[in-house]
Amino acid sequence: MSVIELTEIIKRYQNGEELIAALKGVDFQANRGEMVTIIGPSGSGKSTMLNMIGLLDTPTEGTVRLDSRDVTDFSEDELTEERRTAIGFVFQDFHLLPMLTATENVELPSMWDTGVDRRDRAVDLLQRVGLGDRLDHTPDQLSGGQRQRVAIARALINEPEILLADEPTGNLDQDTGATILDELTRLKEDEDIAIVSVTHDEQLVEYADRVVRLVDGEIQ
Amino acid sequence: MSIADLLWRVPSVQMAWRNLGRNHVRTALATLGIVIGVVAIASLGIAGVALQQQATSDLGGLSAEVTVTPGEDAEEEGITDDQVGDIRSLAPASTVVPQKSNLTTLTARNGDERRVRVTGVTNANALYNLTTGPAPERLQAGALVSNATARTLGLEPGDPVEYDGRLYRIEGLIASTEGLGGGRNELVLPPSALSTQEYYDSVTIFIADDRTARGLTNDLETRFNEGDEEVVSVRNFADVEEQVGSFFRTLNLALLGIGSISLVVASVAILNVMLMSTIERRGEIGVLRAVGIRRGEILRMILAEALFLGVVGGVVGAAVSVGVGLLLFYFLTDNALLVLEWRSFQYVFYGFGFAVFASGISGLYPAWKAATDRPVEALRG
Repeated sequence: MSVIELTEIIKRYQNGEELIAALKGVDFQANRGEMVTIIGPSGSGKSTMLNMIGLLDTPTEGTVRLDSRDVTDFSEDELTEERRTAIGFVFQDFHLLPMLTATENVELPSMWDTGVDRRDRAVDLLQRVGLGDRLDHTPDQLSGGQRQRVAIARALINEPEILLADEPTGNLDQDTGATILDELTRLKEDEDIAIVSVTHDEQLVEYADRVVRLVDGEIQ
Repeated sequence: MSIADLLWRVPSVQMAWRNLGRNHVRTALATLGIVIGVVAIASLGIAGVALQQQATSDLGGLSAEVTVTPGEDAEEEGITDDQVGDIRSLAPASTVVPQKSNLTTLTARNGDERRVRVTGVTNANALYNLTTGPAPERLQAGALVSNATARTLGLEPGDPVEYDGRLYRIEGLIASTEGLGGGRNELVLPPSALSTQEYYDSVTIFIADDRTARGLTNDLETRFNEGDEEVVSVRNFADVEEQVGSFFRTLNLALLGIGSISLVVASVAILNVMLMSTIERRGEIGVLRAVGIRRGEILRMILAEALFLGVVGGVVGAAVSVGVGLLLFYFLTDNALLVLEWRSFQYVFYGFGFAVFASGISGLYPAWKAATDRPVEALRG
């Protein structure tokens, strides 16, 4: 059963006078233990699609289902709650907070949860991505690959069902990118999560269980 | 667990503190603005109190003084002995000093002349402070001359002065009359010297018990003046003192107003700093929102940052203000510790309170703006 399901998604933007359709009726689903890569040229609507899957944005038309629940008409506060519990994000430029240590950055999504101490899980996750000796380092003391590993650990802290990766290797060299993709593949199985990545990097295609090609707002 | 520990457990507070640590210079400058604002409010307020304190002590015992002079409807051309007796019976515990007065010209050995006011009074010590000579409880044959007159005419204690054809030996020099109007040309003689004047020109009452000047004034009015008649005119300085007090209250408000302007400027600076920093961190806040941090939590975090600036600036400002206050009181009233009394210390609290309030207000808009930014937009930076 799919954890996330988009049905007939249409997203239109008002850009000045013009009404732009970024997504023109997209159907998509992802299952646990599966890595799906959405690939397409820039302007194809793949970021918009990722925002729909990540519950960061709502569609103009169509339905979004998370765990078979219709979340299309959820309020911003309800969506925030769903993101917190079900979705992990990995960004192209890592987006770690510079004043927090690696461990604190990993704990960040759970920091506001009262009565929950995720310190042990944070340390465990960092050890699993090979940063057991970098727990108290701040982002500026880490290399690009190490930062992305911290970001991956952060995405997993709340035991999500889906991990969304927006150009996860975009700011890394070929070899580092490959190790990050190995890491994701391993975690996908260990944690039994769906990984959805968006890229124009063909390297990701090799690691994907399934590839979705998006051109001009439509799946080919 | 201490309050600090508890506060530290609030994630918004902890994040706010870390965020402020990211740009030390900006944080320090914003705090400095608040410090200046607090110091301005608190020390101007304290300065007002110190000035008032000094002025009140200069006015001396005027508030315990009542003066009776003949009124428009007086039957005689002065205050009669009977009336003095009545006044004494109305104010038994007070010192009642009836005075006769006149004007005369004193001539120096070298021919210099000076118009002086002549006062005939028995218990001169109640009215005058002497710089030279013992204060006579009963002035009988001698004379007192004000310092200024003695200096200009070259008179010294022991010298004779002439009035109405009789000679009086100078027994002492008058420093200055208590309260207002000191330092005039004055010659003080025994009442017998003015015996040609049947009535007294004024009666001064120094209240010695816990009666108020105003209360005694009312009693005297009721006793002597019936209806609209003004047989005697009764004056006290309580009104003057009240006016002085009200002047200083106005002055203080004006000073506080000026001080507040600087704090308003400081809070605009905080608004600017917070707005800049939230715009700079837009992407970061977008990430927080994406990973499921609630809007209210973002709001509290930014608000806590602004409040931190206010509290830290307020504490430092309060400390500096107390220092300034100690100096002000030391120079104006010679008692630096008076700054710790509530009437002056309250301004330190006002300054601090206003600082926290103003920075909180300044933090509201940036906090609201950051919290309500759509995550998708914010992530684009």
